[in-house]
Amino acid sequence: MTRRPAPKIAAYAGVAAVALLAGLALGRPEPVAVAAPLAVLVVAGLAAARDPELDVDATADRDRAIVGDEVTVEVRLRAHRAVDRLELLLVVPPGLEGPGGAGGVPRTPPGSPGGTGPGRSGRPWALAVTLAAGEERTVTVTLACRRWGAYRLGDLHLRAHDRFRLLCWERHLDLQAPLKVFPEPEALRALVRPFETQVFTGSQVSRHRGEGIEFADIRPFLPGDRPRSVNWRATARRGEPWVNQRHPERNTDVVLFVDSFLDVRGQRESTLDLAVGAAASLATAYLRQRDRVGLVGFGGFVQWLQPGSGQGALYRLLDTLMETQVFATAAWKGIRHLPPRTLPPKALIVALSPLLDQRAVAALFDLLARGYDLAVVDISPLTGAAAVDGEWGPLAMRLWALQRETLRHRYQRLGAAVVEWTAEVHLQQVLLEVETCRRRAVPAPG
Amino acid sequence: MPAPRRARTRLACRLAAVAVAAALALLPVAQTGDPLRPLLAWLAGLGLLLAAGAAWHPAALLGPALTVLLAGYTVALLGLGGRVHAWAPVVGAGLLLFGELACWAREAHPLVRDEPPATKARAAVLAASVVTALGLGALVLLAAGLPAGGALARLAVGVLAATATLALVAVAARPTATR
Repeated sequence: MTRRPAPKIAAYAGVAAVALLAGLALGRPEPVAVAAPLAVLVVAGLAAARDPELDVDATADRDRAIVGDEVTVEVRLRAHRAVDRLELLLVVPPGLEGPGGAGGVPRTPPGSPGGTGPGRSGRPWALAVTLAAGEERTVTVTLACRRWGAYRLGDLHLRAHDRFRLLCWERHLDLQAPLKVFPEPEALRALVRPFETQVFTGSQVSRHRGEGIEFADIRPFLPGDRPRSVNWRATARRGEPWVNQRHPERNTDVVLFVDSFLDVRGQRESTLDLAVGAAASLATAYLRQRDRVGLVGFGGFVQWLQPGSGQGALYRLLDTLMETQVFATAAWKGIRHLPPRTLPPKALIVALSPLLDQRAVAALFDLLARGYDLAVVDISPLTGAAAVDGEWGPLAMRLWALQRETLRHRYQRLGAAVVEWTAEVHLQQVLLEVETCRRRAVPAPG
Repeated sequence: MPAPRRARTRLACRLAAVAVAAALALLPVAQTGDPLRPLLAWLAGLGLLLAAGAAWHPAALLGPALTVLLAGYTVALLGLGGRVHAWAPVVGAGLLLFGELACWAREAHPLVRDEPPATKARAAVLAASVVTALGLGALVLLAAGLPAGGALARLAVGVLAATATLALVAVAARPTATR
């Protein structure tokens, strides 16, 4: 621990010295009587002060949680010597909320791009206790998870004081306990169906014909056809054997494209919050129906996961997703920075983007030009943007909205389904709109 | 409601510190005659201003505030003539009380929740310090009345005591890294 003197030592000692000198100069005992308590307090306090001996340990009761859960951090203290006052200060990261409102959801002015991400310094929670010699104490702090993200808990500052508050001892412990807070997945009944399916068995009805359940067509019998495929009604009507053809059930490859270049924070949620929450919900829903899901986090940091299936892929994807944050950079990023296997052929790419940064906008155009099956969920920053007063404010907002609409039309003309998503609308409704939009859209030439 | 209680503790400490400083500043003014009264009034005003500043925020103002209050009392002593001022122990204890209350006001940060035993222990130490200061001041005044050597011997003892106090403080109060 580092020992520091209190500022009052200098004040008391200086005043005592001045008073003693005044007493000598005036030849009177009163200044000495005034100085004596200050001098004695300083001398006796410094002589009696002993370095505190403390054992400190802190643990969290879990390392994964869902938004809304509570995580308990236990700080165990053991004093070998008595400590008159020990201040414990636990830094609560933004996104978590401690007792009495410490920490909490990061606040930035509504509508400001590039808001804070998880991991910035937060507001502390503090407690002062008294410890007797040999006393063990466990202090429990309950933190409420208010926002998704990957956090580090256990940034603990200790400050011990002696009885007369003349010295203080400080120590910093960073226990680096990891905590990942996942967004609560929304229940999705209908998902965006890709134009093309893959070769493995799944839950999506393929457009091709083969062995399956869904009826597709009938055709004349050929050697090798199974007798159970014979359509007896058509055979009787045409006088020769005809068989049923069916659509096979296949899996699909879905790549979730999360744009993390910019984050526009509204009163409740930000565009990145919505994107990450939607990506987690989509990944859970697609993986439940045995599709393969990959991830591209496209922002200052480009991170990717090749499509995978099963519970392991879900955990990998959620873990990667939780580390998404806005990282300001001017470097140009493009699709060519991604490994080829990240975007497999015939994969459906669901882009979750506020369509604000030109690099993300250009990357989506690039994907369309390469013939990928693309659906864009445009997370509208307009609702989170602060209302602008004055003569030109509403006009600027209207121009911005028109500009965004033009951009969406450009995507639609190239064959992508684009739907605007505002925070008030449920994700399921947005997905249904995307599906409706895709029925009308023509796939880009591949 | 812990947060308002912490804020109340802080405010109470600040107000008490200013009240003690006001009493210390006005005592010499009340007990001194006309020639020195305007000067003491100015000193009292300045002392009160610095005391309020020390109680509210900057730690650097504590020393100047104590010095000005002490200066006011010392100037008042000049007008008393040869008789010993019996209120000196009260002034000494008052200065100590003001300093401790100002420090407590800074210590009682609204962010830090003090457990009740810690607050009680702090109040007990403060009360004991003030009582001890009163006794110590009275003891000094009594000891000054005893015949003990000549003026040169007293001067030597005084200079030695002041030097030793400053040296001890300088050695003991340096910041060090311990275990």
